[in-house]
Formats: sequence, C-alpha cells, structure tokens
Amino acid sequence: MDHILKIKNLSKSFGDKSVLNNLSINIERNKSQVIIGGSGTGKSVLLKCILGLIEPDNGEIYFNELILDKKSRADTDFHSKIGMLFQGAALFDSLNVQENITFGIKKIGEKTDNLKDIAVDKLRKVGLDSTVLDLYPSELSGGMQKRVALARAIARTPEILFFDEPTTGLDPIMADIINDLINEVIEEVGATAITITHDMESARKIADKISMLYEGNVIWTGDAKDINDSQNPYVDQFINGKSEGPIKINLND
Amino acid sequence: MNRYIYIIPEAIGRSFLRICASIGSIAVFFYDFVLCLITPPIYIKSLLSQLVRIGYNSLPVIGLTAFFTGGVLALQIYVGGSRFNAENIVASIVALGITRELGPVIAGLMLAGRVSASISAEIATMRVTEQIDALVTLSTNPMKYLVVPRVLAAVISLPILVIIADIIGIMGGFVVGTKSLGFIEQSYIKNTLDIIELRDVMSGLIKAAVFGFIVAFMGCYHGYKSTGGAQGVGRSTTLAVVSASILILASNYILTSLVFTN
Ligand SMILES: Nc1ncnc2c1ncn2[C@@H]1O[C@H](COP(=O)(O)OP(=O)(O)O)[C@@H](O)[C@H]1O
Ligand SMILES: [Mg+2]
Repeated sequence: MDHILKIKNLSKSFGDKSVLNNLSINIERNKSQVIIGGSGTGKSVLLKCILGLIEPDNGEIYFNELILDKKSRADTDFHSKIGMLFQGAALFDSLNVQENITFGIKKIGEKTDNLKDIAVDKLRKVGLDSTVLDLYPSELSGGMQKRVALARAIARTPEILFFDEPTTGLDPIMADIINDLINEVIEEVGATAITITHDMESARKIADKISMLYEGNVIWTGDAKDINDSQNPYVDQFINGKSEGPIKINLND
Repeated sequence: MNRYIYIIPEAIGRSFLRICASIGSIAVFFYDFVLCLITPPIYIKSLLSQLVRIGYNSLPVIGLTAFFTGGVLALQIYVGGSRFNAENIVASIVALGITRELGPVIAGLMLAGRVSASISAEIATMRVTEQIDALVTLSTNPMKYLVVPRVLAAVISLPILVIIADIIGIMGGFVVGTKSLGFIEQSYIKNTLDIIELRDVMSGLIKAAVFGFIVAFMGCYHGYKSTGGAQGVGRSTTLAVVSASILILASNYILTSLVFTN
C-alpha cells in the first residue's frame, strides 16, 4: 500500500499528563483520512507533531519514506508541500485577503499583478471573487474567513492538506457548505487530506477512511462506510453520542 | 502538624525554581533571536513599518513627557539651589540631568508602557489565534518575521527619540527658567552649552539603545510565550510592561555605576 505519511510509536506528555501514548497510524496517499475523538484527546497535538510545531517525546514520522525532524523539514522545505487550515482560520490580521493568500508564495521579484492573479484564482476555487481581495480578516464573516484560509492553504498546491476541526463553530448550513468545499478542493488539488474533528456528520461526508483516537491511541481504523458496524463499543458510543458506555470522560481535565 | 513546617521553604523553593526556569527560557529565546538576527532574510518592509510604529508614533508622548520633566527639574533645582545661594546652577543641572539620566530613562519607561504593551498584546494574540503556527506552516520563521524587526526598530528608534527628548527637555527647563524664574535667555543658553559634553549625550544614547532592546525584547518574549486565551494575553501584557520597566531601571543603575561614572 502507498502511504504518504507513516507515524510510528508517537508519544507526547505535558508535564506528567500523557496526551499521545505510543500512537501509530499510516495515511494512504490521495485518500481523505479523518481522525475522530472527543475534545482534549490530543487530536490537535497529533497534528502539531506532524507539522513540527510541537516536538514529540518519542516516535518517528515518515513523509514519503523520509524521516521528519527539524533538520529534514528545513532541508526539504516540508512546509511548502503541505497546507493547513486552522480551527480559527488564523488569518493574519494585519494583512489583507490578497496578502494572506499569497503569503507563502511571495518570492522576491514576483510581480504584484502576478500575485493578484494567483489570489483571484485561489479565491475562485473556494467560491469567492475578487471583490474581497482588499478586505482585512476582521471585515469578513466566520464562514468567509474559513474560505480565505482554505484558499491560503491550497495556494502552494500541497501534497497533503490538514484540517483542524473545519466545521467547529459554524452553523449547520455553513458547516455543510464547508464540507462540500473541502471535498471539491481535495478533488481539484489532488491532495491527501487529513482532517481531525469531533463532528460525525462532517466526518461521514468527507472521509474515505476514519480512525478513532482514545486515550492517546488509535483504537479503530476502517473505511468510512464501515463505521456503523465497527463492532467497537468505543466507536459506537462516540458516533451515537451516548453518555453511557466504555468511554470515560474526565471532567477535571 | 509537621506538614506546616515545610510551607515556607517549599514556597521559597518553588519561586526560586520558577525564576531559574524563566531565566533559562529567556536565554534560549535570546539565543534564537541572535541566530535569526545574523542569518538572512531580513524583512525590510516589516522593519520600516515598525520604525514608524515604535519610533515615529512615540514622538508626541516622548516630547510631552520630556518637556514637563525639564520644566519641573528647573523648578526643583531652583528651590534647592536657592538654599545655597546657587540659583545659577539651574541651567547646568537641567542639561546634565536630562541628557545623562532623565532623557533616556523617561523615554525608556514611556516606551515600556506604550510599546512593550502593544507588542506583547499583538504577538500574544497571534499566538492564541494560531497565527504564529500559521507562519511556520507557510515556511516563515516567526522569530525572523515578528521579533527581529521589532527589536531592531526599537534599538534604532529609542536613541533618536532620546536626542529629541534631550532637546525638548532642555527647552522645557529653558521656558520655565526664563519665563517664571527670571533667568536671562542668553546666559541660560550659554550655561547650558558650556556644561554639556559629547560624552554626556553619548552615554544617554547608549543607554537608550539598551533600553530600546529591553522594551521590544520583553514585549516579544512575553507575547511569544503567552498561553491561556484572552486572559493570557492580558497577563503577558502586564508581565511585559512590568519586567521591561524593572529591567530598564536596574540596567540604568548598572550602566551608570560601571561605565558612565565620569
Ligand atoms: N502546549 C500545551 N501545553 C500543555 N498542555 C497542552 C498543550 N497543548 C495541548 N495540551 C493538552 O493536551 C490535551 C489534548 O489537547 P488537544 O490536542 O488540543 O485536544 P483536541 O483533541 O481537542 O484537539 C489537552 O488536555 C490539552 O490541555
Ligand atoms: Mg483541537
């Protein structure tokens, strides 16, 4: 099987609190992989370990069979091969839409007209037009911010797209629109997608494969269509949103 | 009962460890900063906009505080001087006091309030809204893009602001001296020019560069390390202003006693 990303025995603790615990997962190329799990189970920490924003305590991550560490991320310009949509969009407040979208592709000597064309093209892919180019993030609605952030994430035609809770905080209709958009964009860019979410509706809609995270580990992986008969009591409890079941919620967390 | 014996030593130990931890973390941050400072790229556009924000926009605040400081200095020295029948000393002491001490310290403290606070609030907000993480995923080193331009801009701006503060402060003394204390304009100016030497002004400017570094570096450090949402932003802003102010006064004493005693 062709795996674009392999994660082996990843562990991460904060103080004496273990968040990821010997976690292993392989991501298939050109598939949409969704990782589900309750709040605070370490989904974002896992993503940040892959992106190099958090240093794991143990374990290895391989990208195209190449081990990822601080040095190899810099040497291979790993970040130019990925795009990340942050939970709160994370647009740069001090820059307008065009500057946000072209931030990663701005090269010395690149003409401004050129950058504008690129920005308009990316905006079109996320269903916006050139009227927003000069607006600042604070002038955009939440849904529009997500779209612009998505345009920024695909600006460098990445091999892998990461989505951190893409539908959290949006109303159900906007969430569905963003789900559709994610599917379109994955199709068009031809990238592998890794999405973390606790929104099951979103997971069902965008996933080829689903994995479930619990207590720092992957406890189930399978095709999205098989999730309803996983035979796994944890998965069943989570996807049906039941308070009764094997999943322990630590309210003191 | 026995447990209570340990409360005080434990508290002392904990604070001591916390202080060691923050000194270590500031040292690591400083090391990263130096590495980023000496390796390309330098973001010139950011540097220019920070020069405007930190330097140019601070002019009114610095000018006003310098003017009133010079004025009040003239009044107080007149009171003190007249007790020894030495009123004539006003012009000289205002000139030396402003250039050697009050110009840089007042400008530094005003900048700690104005600039440390805004830098740390801005960077802390970028931290909690994941904009700093976003920079990394767009192949941009946040230390180079955010910290280096701000620190450089402050180190360049503050000495220039202090030259202006020196001039305005001495003018404040001049206005009070001639308008309300009855000094003759020509002799006040002559006394001022006679006493000031290049090394007085230079020592103030070197202090200013150090204070500029402290102001921006503390703002960036506390913003960068901010955690815990909106409350964390507020906390880091307070920490930035307090630590910058204390460091300015402490380093002012050390610089004066070690280097600028003559
Ligand atoms: N930088 C950090 N420092 C300390 N604890 C952290 C940090 N980042 C995350 N955590 C902790 O790790 C746990 C998992 O967080 P996270 O990955 O954000 O959860 P989620 O699955 O909701 O995305 C949480 O309990 C959180 O408090
Ligand atoms: Mg999360």
